[in-house]
Amino acid sequence: MSERKVTIESRVGLHARPAALFVQTAAKAPGEVTVAKPGGKPVNAKSILAVLGMDARHGEEVVISADGEGADTLLDSLEALLSKPEPESA
Amino acid sequence: MTRVLSPVSGRVVGLAGVPDPVFAQAMVGPGTAVDPARGPGQAIAPVTGKIVKLHPHAYVVVDAEGHGVLVHLGIDTVKLKGEGFELLAAEGDEVTAGQPVVGWNPAVIEAGGRSPICAVVALDANADALSDVREAGEVTTGDELFTWR
Repeated sequence: MSERKVTIESRVGLHARPAALFVQTAAKAPGEVTVAKPGGKPVNAKSILAVLGMDARHGEEVVISADGEGADTLLDSLEALLSKPEPESA
Repeated sequence: MTRVLSPVSGRVVGLAGVPDPVFAQAMVGPGTAVDPARGPGQAIAPVTGKIVKLHPHAYVVVDAEGHGVLVHLGIDTVKLKGEGFELLAAEGDEVTAGQPVVGWNPAVIEAGGRSPICAVVALDANADALSDVREAGEVTTGDELFTWR
């Protein structure tokens, strides 16, 4: 299991648009992928319902975790998404 | 099986009619969209269930089957930070389909330079789980938009 702490740079937080991109990326991974607020319960990063429900805001930290093959590459991609101020302008 | 009701009155335009590729390409999930009637109105709960997330401009209601429906009022309306929206329910509330959740005025949103188009999205659903999806025509608040099995 690899994990990483990332600060959410999207001005709107992990909301509809960034959340959709995040979940779509996570869903490509074969293994388990979770996201959590520090100290919070990890939720399934492949579920848009779970990610929207977590309601991570701009400037908050989250911990993303993945296991299995390609976990670190996946975390690189997810970190890049979360670290962009506005993913849609990419 | 979940019957998903239109949160607003207006003209159905389908997800493809949403001027935001994330919704239009169904990246958030499958569903449809309504261009709301201009004027003060109330957006209702599309299903009976619990409001698991409530923002002024968007909310998610999860029903007894675990089906979560996102109602997103207008495009880029998150940037309004709640201005022009009035919460008529609270996060965590159990609501009945048809119950008012947010008061708003699509004409004001439009006057501010944003699209008031309202996306209604089935979260974590495959497109083939939805049937009888309305893609066009006029709807009144509470009319059925699609069925989710």
